Amino acid sequence: MKHRIFLTVIAISLIFISSCKKKEVKQLVPDDYKGWAMTATELTYPIPGHESHYRQIFINKIGENVKIEKKNGRVYYDYPRGTIIVKEIYPTLEPKKGDKPISLSVMIKDPDNPLSRDKWLWIVKNLKTGKEKVIDYEFCFDCHANANEPYPYGDGNKNGDFRDYVYFPYRK
Amino acid sequence: MNEVRPITRTVNLIIILSLTLGLGLTIVYFSYNQNVTLKTTTRGNLHQQADLLYQSIKNAMLPGNAPNAVSLFSDIKDINPSYEIMLFRAHGVQAFSDNATIETVNKNLDRQKFKLRSSPLENVIDISGDTRFKNSVAQRKTVAFEASESGRHFFTIYKPLLNLPKCTKCHGSDHTVRGVIKISSDITPVLDKQRINLAISGLIFIVVVFILTVILTRFFHRKIINPVKHIGEVCISVTNGNFSNRVSIPNRDEIGVLGETVNRMVEGLYERFQLSKFVSSSTIQSIRNKDRGARAEIAILFSDIRSFTAFSENLPPEEVVERLNGILSFQTDIIHRNGGDVDKYVGDEVVALFSGEEKEYRACKSALEIQQEVEADAGKRFGGLHLGIGINAGEVILGMIGSEERADFTVIGDHVNFASRLCDAAKPGQVIISENIYNMVKDRFKLSSPYKIKVKGKENYQKVFILEERVE
Repeated sequence: MKHRIFLTVIAISLIFISSCKKKEVKQLVPDDYKGWAMTATELTYPIPGHESHYRQIFINKIGENVKIEKKNGRVYYDYPRGTIIVKEIYPTLEPKKGDKPISLSVMIKDPDNPLSRDKWLWIVKNLKTGKEKVIDYEFCFDCHANANEPYPYGDGNKNGDFRDYVYFPYRK
Repeated sequence: MNEVRPITRTVNLIIILSLTLGLGLTIVYFSYNQNVTLKTTTRGNLHQQADLLYQSIKNAMLPGNAPNAVSLFSDIKDINPSYEIMLFRAHGVQAFSDNATIETVNKNLDRQKFKLRSSPLENVIDISGDTRFKNSVAQRKTVAFEASESGRHFFTIYKPLLNLPKCTKCHGSDHTVRGVIKISSDITPVLDKQRINLAISGLIFIVVVFILTVILTRFFHRKIINPVKHIGEVCISVTNGNFSNRVSIPNRDEIGVLGETVNRMVEGLYERFQLSKFVSSSTIQSIRNKDRGARAEIAILFSDIRSFTAFSENLPPEEVVERLNGILSFQTDIIHRNGGDVDKYVGDEVVALFSGEEKEYRACKSALEIQQEVEADAGKRFGGLHLGIGINAGEVILGMIGSEERADFTVIGDHVNFASRLCDAAKPGQVIISENIYNMVKDRFKLSSPYKIKVKGKENYQKVFILEERVE
């Protein structure tokens, strides 16, 4: 009887200790993005938000199936749910060979996520610490809202297409 | 006896605690929530206003109408003087204070689109040292905080104005934050209102608890505690032998019914008390114990007045009764004094029982004291009458003898009869004891030599002794 009580106490303690163990945070940004398609290769000019840092942008397979349609004379881009766009941020505007990115700015199409803004989850990942931070305030979203009207980058979106917050749309 | 702890204190304590906890928690809960709601609403409104201003400023600046934004700030300040809205450059200096931005824009546009100001602003405000401002710029996010200044309390929001791609044409692409909008609202009235709310809640709490405490305490005292105390007082007076007090409770509730029950109980007790004067204590004890019969070792004393019939024939009945009662009373007193119990009076005869330790000795002592008092009277009180006493001891049967309607507690058995025969045999002034008694008291009394007598119901002569006096 005493043994049974002892074992029960041990079991309860173990359950308690295991429940107290820090839960592992689910990583939103996959590590294998390097094998994805690129939407822009040479982003060598400074821009607000990323300032003087060289950038490369990757899009996952799901995002390659972006739906582009014309409604009432305006072109609308609609990236499917699950689309992930990863923008690598390098330490300088002209990185040397072998330089690795210092952070990632990531967009994930996840309309149901309460932290999402206009269907996208905006994330910054510090590659030094591996920490991901969801930016649920204006910073990323407000800037990328400009992608849906003419802007001074890439093709400039002269026609003011709704590009679903993506400055460099994926084109097959 | 343990110390009596008055229920009044406990009841008062329970009432005060219940009210304090119950009402206190309710009022604290509602006051706290009201204050939180007030504060949250105020903060929410300010955040909303900040967002609206942000959009307005953003749109006003895009076509190069920055002065419109300044004018907007001024208009808002006029409408609500408790508001302060200012725009700062990313390095903390008040915007539009000099021509730096205009010069940058003109340079980026490669033409003199905007005219330079003739004179820069005086008393330019610089908040570059404010850590919260720095955080807002560094993290590119809104920072909100409360701070006190000159006795006033302010809620302030720093909201960064981002250098959006569409702004880069004029402002350049080398920076992310163009400036910071500072919106500050004097929330002293809100806090004052919170304090007033708390004070009023506290006051209501104190007043309500006080009033309810008084009402409930009075109610409990009037309806429960005082009636119970009154019942207790009546019970104490009954315990002290005073049966005249009655419970007087006008309530028609359980306590009132209890009072009536107690009154009926007191009346019943009074009747029993009165009856006990006519009933021996062994009868009462027997009734209490509901004895239906038991065997016991006791000493039996029979005392009888000699020639009483002849004596009574020459006297009026009132005097006969008076004399008889006098003789029976003094015997009863002596018997009681010696721990005996008068079982019954049979005409001029007394039947007394002694039980427990030294029962034989106490019976003999009583008998001698009775005879001595009669002798000492010399005819004054007892009219020259004399008593004959017989004492025996042994196992007898005790019990309620009689019918359901009328029963007496008494003793029966051979030893009782023998005691009665000894009494019959005793001459005036004599105390005859049996051999059983003799064996138990022979060292403590002077006794005359044994005699042998023939008594009714016994075939053989019985050895008896005459009690003379105590030797102690």
